[in-house]
This record gives sequence, C-alpha cells and structure tokens, in this order.
Amino acid sequence: MPSLGSEVQACTRKSRALALALRIKLVAAKLWLGIREWCGDSAYERYVQAQRTKPEKSCLLTPTEFYVERVNRRYSRPNRCC
Amino acid sequence: MPPGDFFYQGMNRPISVVIWIVVALVGAGALGTIAFHRGEPLNATWFVVAAACCYLVAYRFYSAFIAARLLTLDDYRATPSERHDDGRDFVPTNKWILFGHHFAAIAGPGPLVGPTLAAQFGYLPGTLWLIAGAVFAGCVQDFIILFCSIRRDGKTLGEIAREEISQRGGFIAQLAVLAIMIILLGVVALVIVNALKSSPWATFTLAATIPIALLLGLYLRFLRPGRVLEASFIGVALVLFVVVAGQWVADSPSWAHVFTLSGVTLAFALIAYGFAASALPVWLLLAPRDYLSAFIKAGAIFSLAAGILLVRPQVLMPPLTRFIDGSGPVFAGKIFPFCFITIACGAISGFHSLISSGTTPKMILRESHARFIGYGAMLMESFVGVMAMIAACAMTPGVYFAINSPASIVGATSDAASATISSWGYPLQAQTMTDLARAVGEQTLLNRAGGAPSLAVGMAQIFSSTIGGPRLLSIWYHFAIMFEALFILTVLDAGTRVGRFMVQELGGRVWKPFARTGWWPGILISSALIVGAWGYFLYQGVVDPLGGINSLWPLFGISNQLLAAVALVVATTILLKMKRIRWIWLTLIPMAWLVIITMTASYQKIFDPNPRLGFLSYSNALAAQIAAGKIPAAKIADTQRVIFNQRLDAAVTAVLAAMIIVLIIEALMQWYRILSSDPKSVLHETAYVATRWTEDFSGASYVGAAAEPEAPAVEG
Repeated sequence: MPSLGSEVQACTRKSRALALALRIKLVAAKLWLGIREWCGDSAYERYVQAQRTKPEKSCLLTPTEFYVERVNRRYSRPNRCC
Repeated sequence: MPPGDFFYQGMNRPISVVIWIVVALVGAGALGTIAFHRGEPLNATWFVVAAACCYLVAYRFYSAFIAARLLTLDDYRATPSERHDDGRDFVPTNKWILFGHHFAAIAGPGPLVGPTLAAQFGYLPGTLWLIAGAVFAGCVQDFIILFCSIRRDGKTLGEIAREEISQRGGFIAQLAVLAIMIILLGVVALVIVNALKSSPWATFTLAATIPIALLLGLYLRFLRPGRVLEASFIGVALVLFVVVAGQWVADSPSWAHVFTLSGVTLAFALIAYGFAASALPVWLLLAPRDYLSAFIKAGAIFSLAAGILLVRPQVLMPPLTRFIDGSGPVFAGKIFPFCFITIACGAISGFHSLISSGTTPKMILRESHARFIGYGAMLMESFVGVMAMIAACAMTPGVYFAINSPASIVGATSDAASATISSWGYPLQAQTMTDLARAVGEQTLLNRAGGAPSLAVGMAQIFSSTIGGPRLLSIWYHFAIMFEALFILTVLDAGTRVGRFMVQELGGRVWKPFARTGWWPGILISSALIVGAWGYFLYQGVVDPLGGINSLWPLFGISNQLLAAVALVVATTILLKMKRIRWIWLTLIPMAWLVIITMTASYQKIFDPNPRLGFLSYSNALAAQIAAGKIPAAKIADTQRVIFNQRLDAAVTAVLAAMIIVLIIEALMQWYRILSSDPKSVLHETAYVATRWTEDFSGASYVGAAAEPEAPAVEG
C-alpha cells in the first residue's frame, strides 16, 4: 500500500506535469497567434474587433471585401525594400 | 522614471557590468582576430561572434543612449496606432510581430548581393563596414526616421521633408525616391537575368512560381478569403516541389530547350511580367507571391544562419585582395568609395527610411518599441549581410572570381578563365569549374555576374555540408537560386506597382484625371512608363559588354546611399528643431560620410579616365574606336547604343548628385534659420495626447494584446 508521502510526491509530480503542459500549450497558442498576425491571417478578426469598439457604427466589410481592400492599400506604398 | 534611468537600467548590478564587459571583450577579440589574422584560412565562427557581440553592445548602449538622451521616447504619449486605430492602416501591434513585419519589409536582395560583390576586395573591408556602418549609420537612420514618423501620424519621408525643410526639399525627396526605385528595379532584374540565363532548371522553377501565385490568388480571393497561412503552406509545398521538378525539366532534352533562354529573352520576359503585375488586380498575382516569398525568405535566412553555425566553414578569401587598387574584375573602382557604395543595404539603406515612414509607424504600440524595431531590425539585416559575406568568402577565391567576372575580362571558356584568374594569384583549374557546374546541375557557372549564382553556390555548399552531402548540392543550389529570384521578383512587382502610383501622382499634377488610380488608361500608361524606365536599364545591363553589373550596381549603390543621406538630412533638421544640438553629431557624421562617399563615387563614375570606371571615358573610348574604324560595320549600331547608355548613366548620376546638393543647400538654409531662432522654423509634431493605456494595457483590443508586458515608462 503506497504511503501518504509517496502519494503526495506522485500528486506533486502530476501537478507539475500538468502545469508544464499548460505552459507549453500557452506558449504554442501565443506562437500560433503571433504567426497568424504576422502573416495577416487574423487581420479580418482584428478589423471586426476594432469596428465593434468604435462609437460610430459603419457598414462592416465582408471577409472578401476586406481582403481585397487590404491588399490594394498595402501594395500602393513601398512595402518591400532592396 | 527619471531621465537617464533607462540608459543605466540594470547596470547597478555588478553581474550585469561584468557580463557586458565580457561581451565587449569577446567582440573586440573576435574583431581583432578578423582584422589581424594572416596566413591560414580563418573560421567563420569568428565573424559570427564578432558581429553578434558588436550588435549586442551597440543595441544595449548606443541605441539606449539615442532613445534616452536624443529622442527621449515617451511611452505615456499615444502613438498613431492608438489614436487612429481603424483595424486597417492603424493597427496596434505586438512589438515582436511588428519586428517581423518590419524585418520582412526591409530585408531584400541588397544585403545578400552587395557583400557578395564587395568580397572582391577581400573579407575584411566589407565585414568591418557591415558592422560599423549598421551600428553608427543604418540603424540610427532607421530608428530616428521611425521615431519622426510616429510623432507625425505616420507621415512619409517626402511629407516630413516638405514640412520640416521646405516644399522644394520634399519634392526633391520624392523625385529621389522615384529615381532610386527605377534604378533599383533595373538592377535587381539584371541580377535575376544573370542567375537564370542558360539555366533551364532555375528558369522553370521561377516560371512555375507564377501559376502557383495565381492559384493562391484565386484561393485567397474566392475560396478562403484572407486565409493567408493555409494558402502559404500550400504554396510553399508546391514551390519546393517545382524546385525538385526543375531537375526533370533540365534532364528532358525537349523541355530543357524550351526553358533555356538568353539574357535578352529573359529581360523581355521580366519586363512583360512587371507590366502584368503592375496592371493586374493586386490580389491575383502580387499579394500571393509576396506571401510565398515572405515565408521562403524567412526560412532560407534562418537556415543559412543555422548552416553557418553548424558547419563553421573556413573563409578561404584573403582579408585583402590585390583589387583594392580599383582593378577588380567584378566591378571597377578603388576600395574607397566603392566598398561602401557596393555594400549599400547591409550597412545603411536609404530605402529603409521609406518603410520606417510607411507602414511600421502606423502599427507601433508604444514609442519605446521604435528602438527594438527600428534599430534592432537593421542590426538583423546587417547580420544577413555578414552571412552573405561568409558564404561568398567560403568559396575558393578562384571559383568566386570565375563566377562573378564578365567574359570580356576572364574569357568565356574554362581554360581561358582559369589561366587569367590563376595569373592573378588565385589558382584555379579549368576542370574545377566544369565539375562544379555539373555538381550543381548547370551547364556552366562562368561569367554569371550579379552575385546571385555565387551566393547560391556558397549557400548550397553550406547546406549540403549539413544535409544530404554532395548528392543534394544541385537541389540546394537551385533552392538558393529560387529563394533569391523569388524575393527579387517580389521587389520587382511590388516596386513597379508603387512606382506606377508615383508616376500617376506626378502626372496628376499636370492633368488631374491621370492621378485616378482606378482609371484604366492611366493604369496602363503609368505602368508602361515605369516598366519602360527600369526595363531600359535592365536591357542596357544585359547587352553591356562589361556585364552590366559593373555599371549598374554602383549606380544603384549611389542612388540608395543618396536617399540615405536625404533621410539623415531630414533627421538632422528635426533634431536641430528639437534643440538636440549637443548630440547632433549622431546623425551629422553619418550624413557627412554618406555625402562624401556618394559625391566621390559619382565624380569617379562620371569623369574617371579609366574606361572601366568612368562612364564618359568609356563612351569616348568607344567613339574613338568607331572613328578609327576599329569596330566592324556590323557592330557599329550596337557600339553606338553602348555609347548612348554610358552617357545616359553619366547624366543620371549627375542629376542624382545635383539633387542631393540642392537638398543640402535647402537644409543648410533651414539650419541657419533654426540656429538663429527664426520663429518660422517650427517643429511639426502632432499634438501630445496621453495614452489611454497608462494603467492597463488591456485597453488595446488587438490580437495578441495579452502578450504585452509591463506598463508604459518614459525613456529619457
């Protein structure tokens, strides 16, 4: 029969492993968010968020309209260097 | 936080002091080894250690000093992204993500090609300038222009120059930008042509990226709007597949014939592509190609860094070659000023000031992030330049000169080239070049001026030493060529489109409808004008008997460094208006240095009596040969075209130099007014608005906000 001490140790190990797994999951989630934002994948979500917080309500663009407008704007000024 | 605390942050702990002293000593030791080592080949690790330590010390102390004492960055001041947050242009962005954006925007072919070409002087001058130039000039320019733009609602360099110097100054800055754009596009297109000509494998690979980009464009527009990540994964997989498939094309006699193109054919193909990319909807071709390029660029640069650290190659090029006297085969001109002109973007690039006053200031979250993004990203770019230098210098010098020298100097056959190059003191067997060409899957590697093929050979040797060995050398070589060509093509199509907008804006001053960006006749005419302008430089480079790079890369370097001088003139003017007279040398010295090197280079390129260096002496020598009847009748028309091109290059160089002189005179007048306390000389910063995020940064409702750390602090 396992002693109380070993049970506590096992429990501590388990909670440490869980904490580590949680931390890894958090880091992976942040990394994923970062990559999505870096490449523009989350631009539409960000736009919708920004529109929601604005006091004056304007017509929300669809994902397609937003994408086309975004790339048009982005490539009308120097954005790639020598 | 009281003034100066930021600068001394952490330095009250003895351990920090000891660590920084150790980093500085290790860096000094590595730099000393690079500078004074003679005889046996040097290990590339010394370069990496020297660069890394210098960058760390510069970032920790010099950039902190600029942030605290010169600019007094203020995190309690709301940035444009906070004040105008619209989810479109003005988007508060995590500093690491914005660093990635900014670095992806500033890192182009320049820091790869420039150091590769400058390796003809040996590894020492180029490496020293890459490190010192970045620390004291390039990073300072990027950082201060970014700061100036943040304080002006993200205005562009031209707009800032117009407000802070004069209307004329702003107009000159805009013209300089257009001029550099045209020359830049012509030169980078020439680099692609020289990398692809007579290479069916490389040509097929690059050609195949066009339908791949179109496919991604349709996917992102109609199937999964804006899902860039998944589209990019599909695209990268397809691109890697066509790199391998290129070998099958090269091995098939019928297909190899189709993709074996001459320089002139490739030049016209690129001109047609540039026109299409500029005139077609941006979502169809340009944007998806850029996404592809960004991922492959990031992957290849990190792989090169990892490869160098793992392989630790020996640097076989001597520290200084005999060509410091100006007789170099890759390009003519003495070490001063042409080492600095040739390195260009790896140390300081005027073009960066357009990025620093473009998208980045509209996305920055806090003023203090400008230090990490402006100064830090340029340090990273300089490190890319050092890696390119290592890759070029890790090759046998004989092989390096055989690849990068034009046929008119070393000969067009392996035997002739090996005899000429060996006579310079860099032994080369004819069989070495034949074997190397076969190993990388090319018909020949001789006379492939432009830097891209030699860099690809260097990269392939490093990569294959890590993965795959000699069996994969050809795959790695074509991967490197595809990587270089892909992102050069991205610069080409994005630059053509921006140039089109500039032409439309300038044309709109004469006739208003021309400025309407959605008006098709305007689109077609302006696209044709901009493509015709850079296409002409490309064509003249392709048909130039001296290889094109000899004339055009210095011209590009001069225009780029002139634009950097323009940016530093603007920065100096603003600092004077901010009453930072005590520290004005921080921008004044790099500005003066750039003016000296660009003016010296411009003078030599126009008037030098050596026909390989001076545009006018070369054209006069050719004219004298025609007059003396030494040119065969069949070649007279071609020779006259070369004469015209040389005179055109001389005129372009003179106009660029004249523009900077006029701008400096304008700035000097403004400086006089500032120093004599003229009330008209006012600083045009936007009014101070306190940040809403002082207490709680979660006020910023942007993706990744949770990753933001501490509460804001005043630097200075």
